[in-house]
Amino acid sequence: MKIVVCIKQVPATGADKRYTDEMRLDRVGVEAIINPLDEYAIEQALRLLDAGTADSVTYLSMGPDQASEALRRALAMGGHDAVLITDTALAGADEWTTAKVLAAALDKLAPDVALMGMASDDARGSLVPGAVAAMRDVPLLSYGSELTLADGEARVRRLSATGFDWIAAPLPVVATVTDQVGEPRYASLKGIMAAKRKPLETWSLSDLDLSPDSLHGAALTMVTATRAPEEKPPTERIENVPAPEAAVKIADWLEQRKLI
Amino acid sequence: MSNDILFLAEFSAGKAARSALELATGAAELASQSGGSAVALAYGAGAASGAAALGAHGAARAIVLGDEDQPAITYAPAAVAAARDGGLAVLAPATPNGRDLAAALVGSLDLPAFGPVRAARVVDGVLESEQATLQGSVITTARPAEGAPSPSVVLVLANTFTPAEGGSGSAEVSQAPEAGESALSRAAVAERHEADAKVVNLEEATVIVAGGRGVGGEDGFGPLRELAEALGGAVGASRAAADAGWIPYQLQIGQTGKVVKPSLYIGAGISGAIQHRVGMQTAEHVIAVNRDPDAPIGEFADLFVVGDLFQIIPALTEEIRRRKTASGGQG
Ligand SMILES: Cc1cc2nc3c(=O)[nH]c(=O)nc-3n(C[C@H](O)[C@H](O)[C@H](O)COP(=O)(O)OP(=O)(O)OC[C@H]3O[C@@H](n4cnc5c(N)ncnc54)[C@H](O)[C@@H]3O)c2cc1C
Ligand SMILES: Nc1ncnc2c1ncn2[C@@H]1O[C@H](COP(=O)(O)O)[C@@H](O)[C@H]1O
Repeated sequence: MKIVVCIKQVPATGADKRYTDEMRLDRVGVEAIINPLDEYAIEQALRLLDAGTADSVTYLSMGPDQASEALRRALAMGGHDAVLITDTALAGADEWTTAKVLAAALDKLAPDVALMGMASDDARGSLVPGAVAAMRDVPLLSYGSELTLADGEARVRRLSATGFDWIAAPLPVVATVTDQVGEPRYASLKGIMAAKRKPLETWSLSDLDLSPDSLHGAALTMVTATRAPEEKPPTERIENVPAPEAAVKIADWLEQRKLI
Repeated sequence: MSNDILFLAEFSAGKAARSALELATGAAELASQSGGSAVALAYGAGAASGAAALGAHGAARAIVLGDEDQPAITYAPAAVAAARDGGLAVLAPATPNGRDLAAALVGSLDLPAFGPVRAARVVDGVLESEQATLQGSVITTARPAEGAPSPSVVLVLANTFTPAEGGSGSAEVSQAPEAGESALSRAAVAERHEADAKVVNLEEATVIVAGGRGVGGEDGFGPLRELAEALGGAVGASRAAADAGWIPYQLQIGQTGKVVKPSLYIGAGISGAIQHRVGMQTAEHVIAVNRDPDAPIGEFADLFVVGDLFQIIPALTEEIRRRKTASGGQG
């Protein structure tokens, strides 16, 4: 059983970020990390590897050259090899383009499970996995708090309106997991050393038989403007007063805003 | 290509989700700008019998994708068949099911994707939308690239539109066109585990009282529940409280929980971590109760009450009850 985990390199959570004049995220000088939710996908894949259910774990990322750092970091956690898709024509890629490129790479890698995070920190659309599934015409099993594989079938445990369901589909599938799969492991020193010798290939668009033309430039969408959010009035504070008095003040505040 | 605005209308247990009503009104608003009609793509248990009633909220037509209680993604082939004929945009709720179907449309028909958005309008015949990015620090405006195919697929946050009420219109209902074979329809529910107690859908609540690690345990949610009741609202939680097993995960707010936009959010014993914040920062009014005067939530709350939640929350409940009784229960 072969698993490919798709990971995205994103700016560190809470880092100071801004847009460039070309309306793209300025990534210069911003610390980059593995998309935190993708670490859970890595953890899920490695648990299946530890259990002997999976035979191989490959990491796949589309991004600039330095995204190879994210792949090395993933390899330090475990797994076998990695592929980076990088091409200057992909600068400014949107979710459709990303899905198109990942789908082409997955066609080549042909895994039983393409495992992804539930959302990327910067795009937050959760659209890439489903778009990839549709492009490759394989089932989508999304938002799993656990993924199991047996008898040619994958299953995810997914929260329902009141409880949870197990949702099943025949392999191959695209699956996404949430932060409920369990805390991602740390890379050990041994793991970090071993990762340096694990194979990491770099592919360009031509390796995938894709061209900038077939990708509509790099995006079907464009950002036309950015602005600061509406100024909020400064925070009002209630402190150093006994609870009953604070309660009266809060109730007044609510009443002024017609909230009670 | 038509100027219609399509929207995903989810049904379950015989009832339309609140998102379906919101999007019906939103689609009608946008359709009046584009010169088209609002068209529902209705799916889930109750869709066939309930679709016509979406007319009361703005839908002119409704296409029924299917009426079974099965994973939303299995309606993707029908949604694709219905959206293939064009339209300016397909609005989808920014929920797990809405995102799954939206993604399938994007991948199947090679469509531009937007969102989750907090505002949309039609400008010069194209759909323009606004999205908060970079943890809410920047608002971006986006539109389809020159020559991009339509419809645009737009994820819409809950409470972006307010459902029009009191309408008496009825949507003209039809069946989805024949869908092609697709692997997406092969996901099936293998096991269903229902909880004993009914859990509210937080996305639909207009008042939320949320508790975090500071609540200290399952029992600690008691006073929060009473306050929520007094305010006619629902109880929510941080991941720390859900992870601790004090409250079901369905009530978690944040990046990996629900994204909520109530008119009032009260957070008690919640520090305000970025992953929690992205789930509630679009609430209209935010009150935080925290005993740490430097808690991060104090930096973005509208009203920050420094103190012990176990004293303040019950006192507030009592004060609100007192005022409601004094005004003859009119609140
Ligand atoms: C990938 C990822 C995804 C995540 N997704 C989410 C998510 O969706 N939602 C989410 O909430 N978190 C999420 N988190 C976790 C998040 O980072 C925080 O750890 C979490 O929100 C903290 O919860 P908390 O505020 O309840 O607890 P804490 O940060 O421990 O804060 C508790 C607060 O309670 C206060 N307090 C204690 N006792 C009292 C008292 N008696 N009266 C008043 N105040 C008191 C303390 O001063 C403190 O500020 C995610 C994390 C990761 C890495
Ligand atoms: N550039 C990328 N490279 C590899 N995987 C990606 C990339 N972008 C998105 N993904 C995967 O798709 C998931 C959802 O991302 P998104 O649709 O952007 O919210 C992520 O958690 C990743 O697993």
